[in-house]
Amino acid sequence: MQSLFRRIRVDGNKPYVRAYHPYLFLLPGFVIYLVFVLLPIAGTLRYSFYDWTGFSEPIYIGIDNYRRLLSDRDFWQALSHNFFFSIFYTILPIMLGLFLTSLLTRSRLRGLAVFRTGLFIPQIMSPVVVGIIWRWMFQLDGPINQMLNTFGLGHLARPWLGDFTFAPVAVGIVGTWVEYGLAMVLFIAGAQAIDEDLYDAAKVFGANALQQFWYVTLPGLRQQILVAFVITFIASLRIFDLVFVLTRQGGPGKATTVASILIYQEAFQRNRAGYASAMAVILTLIIVTISGIVIYLQSRSDQQEAL
Amino acid sequence: MLVKRSLVPLLAALCLVLVLSGPAGAQDTVTLTVWDNFTREAEQEMIEALHAEFEAAHPGVTIVRESYETSDLTALLPLALSETTGPDVAMINQGIANMGALVQAGLLLPLDDYAEQYGWLDRYAEGLHRRNRFTEGGEQFGEGNLYGVSNTAEVVGLYYHRDIFEEHGLSIPTTFEEFESLAQTLIDAGVTPIVFGSLDGWPAIHEYGALQNVYATLEELDALIFRFEDGTFDTEANLQAAQKLVEWVNNGYFSEGFEGMDYDNATTSAFVNRQGAMWLTGSWMSGTLVEQLDEESVGFFLLPDLEGSEVPLATGGVGLAYGIRATSEHADLAAEYIDLMTGPRAAELLFEQGYLPAVAVDEELLTEGTLTADVVHAWEAISANDKVGHYLDWTIPYDEIVASLQELLGGQITPEEFVAQVQTVYEESAE
Repeated sequence: MQSLFRRIRVDGNKPYVRAYHPYLFLLPGFVIYLVFVLLPIAGTLRYSFYDWTGFSEPIYIGIDNYRRLLSDRDFWQALSHNFFFSIFYTILPIMLGLFLTSLLTRSRLRGLAVFRTGLFIPQIMSPVVVGIIWRWMFQLDGPINQMLNTFGLGHLARPWLGDFTFAPVAVGIVGTWVEYGLAMVLFIAGAQAIDEDLYDAAKVFGANALQQFWYVTLPGLRQQILVAFVITFIASLRIFDLVFVLTRQGGPGKATTVASILIYQEAFQRNRAGYASAMAVILTLIIVTISGIVIYLQSRSDQQEAL
Repeated sequence: MLVKRSLVPLLAALCLVLVLSGPAGAQDTVTLTVWDNFTREAEQEMIEALHAEFEAAHPGVTIVRESYETSDLTALLPLALSETTGPDVAMINQGIANMGALVQAGLLLPLDDYAEQYGWLDRYAEGLHRRNRFTEGGEQFGEGNLYGVSNTAEVVGLYYHRDIFEEHGLSIPTTFEEFESLAQTLIDAGVTPIVFGSLDGWPAIHEYGALQNVYATLEELDALIFRFEDGTFDTEANLQAAQKLVEWVNNGYFSEGFEGMDYDNATTSAFVNRQGAMWLTGSWMSGTLVEQLDEESVGFFLLPDLEGSEVPLATGGVGLAYGIRATSEHADLAAEYIDLMTGPRAAELLFEQGYLPAVAVDEELLTEGTLTADVVHAWEAISANDKVGHYLDWTIPYDEIVASLQELLGGQITPEEFVAQVQTVYEESAE
């Protein structure tokens, strides 16, 4: 971006002029962004103050939707499910990603590219495909229960996605399976940028593999961990498709209902688009706030380190 | 300056495009736009045959048809019908949240005059027409203007494997008590009486609805569904139905691990692979079952009631209804189209496609002792005797009723809590 703001010399004799034509190249992209992202966001914000079915004449009702939202148990319960899922979408993938990174980068592994690609595949698959595959995996006579039976753990076999206790965990595990690849690829790229001398130095001081990981790899990956955290955390708050395919309306009961499912139900099944908009606004604010805090804390600690 | 110079030709080109793409050649021909949910490949021929007949009878008329899956159709219609370029004729899902919302927004044309002109009201029972009725402005469901006419029907009952019944010396039960003793015989013999899976949610509505029909009267159910003044979920019958459902779960009436079984794969294959004697579901599966099993090896009957009435109450109804956009310029033509699509000629073709037509099927087309004949007779019996029960999600928000039923089935709540919980939702959703 910096180059856009640089004064460039157009002609040897004339003074520097500000170049504006680079902006023209941004225009098509910006127009698309404006029409398909910014305007709908503005529309959502506006309709959150209206009583609106999605096709009726909107009636302005001030902050009534928000007031009602405060005491809507379903919404806060759904949000708490989102935070529960962030363990599976964020924490576990980052830990798994770090583990795989240390495996794949610190040892001389044959066929590294094959492993890396294979492990990344879940991330690039369509969530609907992932959902259908895992729905089958979790079936009563599906591979997971069959495996448990094979290992003599038949008493643990159960209808996973229909079980009030285990359905949230089952859906979460699918999330981990999808997200760890992203974390891993980010970390592998980051690890390759860590100066090999640091490892040599650590070895000289007698650091074992675990200490090398703790004192060299981990600090070296701080930026990547932050990026992975923000991306996967936002993903955990936005979950929709996986739940929609795996447990439909977020069942059993409301055990796996998340905020986006609720927004979808309010807007398209109950024709309460205004109320759904208010939910969407709150969800967006939560995402922006938490991401903002994380990025701010990180940049502050970076500055302190630089001093 | 640079900007101006480069934009001028661009703007000129844009204007040219706009001019060229304006209305052209709209003089003599009329285009009738139709949105339906006939997306299966085999259905295309049927619809195209009917359209060809219509176009041949109306020179200059072209039918432009768009087909969507029902859920997509339902989601897209509100916006499409508010546009003056929207479909003239569309298939509309019943219920307060769907047809009701469209009527409230003034997007549908009342069809009463056309109904009289073409005799649509004689096609099937008034109890079924009520499902397409709303008062002006959509205030009251089940009364007032007619906003749609259907051409397909459905009925929820029990499919059964004839040979499993024979093997255990069972015959079709005529009272609810007989049904339960039949189920017990099967359980004692180690056979699952009813295949069922609640993972997708909605099948639970049909299992509970069947039991509701056993205990409740049609008047009670009408009041509940159409939200008449005395409409309430908090009734003795609904509690009894919930208690019975839990009892069935505890006694092993349903497939083991039903909580984790989906409908399309797990439940369907459980029945096809004879992992249960019966399947309590809708007539929409008869085509699939005829395809996958021998037409004579499977039968269909309605869940009997306590008194053993000859025709018990059974959940069912007419399928998506053809309606006309309020702002359509071709309403007369659209009505004529609806007349064709819901008439006897269409019924014959629909029947060939494995659909249960809303109007009576020619007896000559039926072979006694086949699944198809069983299903058609079950439908005709409840339709002719006005014994058609309702789907709960027409009046109670779908996600709520499904969640509550899953909680009931999973033992998370008691039948009493279930009734109280659904009643609360019923009241809240009245706004």
